[in-house]
Amino acid sequence: MADDILERVKKIIIDRLGVDEAAIVETASFKEDLGADSLDVVELVMELEDEFDMEISDEDAEKITTVGDVVEYIKSRK
Amino acid sequence: MGFPQLQIAHIKPKVPIFQGGMGVGISLSSLAAAVANAGGVGIISGTGISTDEMREHIRKARELTKGIGYIGVNVLFAMKDFAEKMKAAMEEKVDFIISGAGFSRDMYAWGRTFGIPVISIVSSAKLARLAEKLGAAAVVVEGFEAGGHLGTDRPLFDILPEVIEAVQIPVIAAGGILTGEDLAKALQMGAVGVQMGTRFVASEECDAPLAFKQKYVDAQQEDTILVKTTVGLQGRAIKNHFTDLISGDQKVKIEKCLDCLKDCSYRFCTLDSLLKSVDGDVENGLVFAGSRVSEIKEILPVRQIIDNIMDEYNKTVEKIV
Repeated sequence: MADDILERVKKIIIDRLGVDEAAIVETASFKEDLGADSLDVVELVMELEDEFDMEISDEDAEKITTVGDVVEYIKSRK
Repeated sequence: MGFPQLQIAHIKPKVPIFQGGMGVGISLSSLAAAVANAGGVGIISGTGISTDEMREHIRKARELTKGIGYIGVNVLFAMKDFAEKMKAAMEEKVDFIISGAGFSRDMYAWGRTFGIPVISIVSSAKLARLAEKLGAAAVVVEGFEAGGHLGTDRPLFDILPEVIEAVQIPVIAAGGILTGEDLAKALQMGAVGVQMGTRFVASEECDAPLAFKQKYVDAQQEDTILVKTTVGLQGRAIKNHFTDLISGDQKVKIEKCLDCLKDCSYRFCTLDSLLKSVDGDVENGLVFAGSRVSEIKEILPVRQIIDNIMDEYNKTVEKIV
């Protein structure tokens, strides 16, 4: 299940940020390692909401800084 | 006066001029009410004051405008109490809420719940589109000429056409707007109005102390500088002892931390530096101002400022026709 989440998250990140799959490791920070600006992160969060059919508040979104944070967050909400 | 009626939700001001929200303590009830009474739209800044103080200012502005003028509230998204303040402002039934310097998605949902229009301050077509998609009633496009925290290094009139092209909702132009010619140019490009902050600081009704206003009047060309504040954004301010102090990488001792920002760099205290300047210490505090502050020569009543702009606007339009 977790692997499935990671795969789906990876696909969104690749589409949105245009980064190489190899760069998407759990510790990768969206802003520092994957070249996202704050707007990219907002859009990413909105796509995650669609993909996983959930609403993510500003407060929760602000805590998401790495790929691992996303996977953990989605797992915690499932 | 020949310009199309500005309408954003129920907001239909006599003149298409918004007064930009300015924190800390620069645009409160006195300035916002004066602008609303002169036919424009006033904005109270809820940043850096308590929620109760903000509520009092909203009520006072309503009294001063006899409930007729349009009053909105702006709170800096980077503040920890952003959500609390915005909800309190909507409980007080402000005409709209407006925010920038970071992007809140939640505020659109709150706006829907309370039935209050939400306006976003943006600096790119991309962000404007996102704001529209989320339900913004309008966007304010702010160029790098603006004072205070900035979201871009591009001039207003470069970004404005891109935003107008990108969205269907009304677009308000901001950043370096001072005169009726600027207003005419913005409207001619397709904006529905302008937002001005700096010009209104040098007004009799502005809530800032005289020393702060005088700093604006005394400012010369090349006197503004960009400083990186602890919010994580560049901000435009008037050069003074404090901007010299923070221009390098050195840290400035923080006297007392109120833990006010969601994400602070702790290099100095932005809030304290803004409180100092609004307390009248314009050398040791941070004095935010727009890039054209040097063109302001005198402190005028708000009504005079707006009348001047509309006169200039009419003359400009006549010349074109």
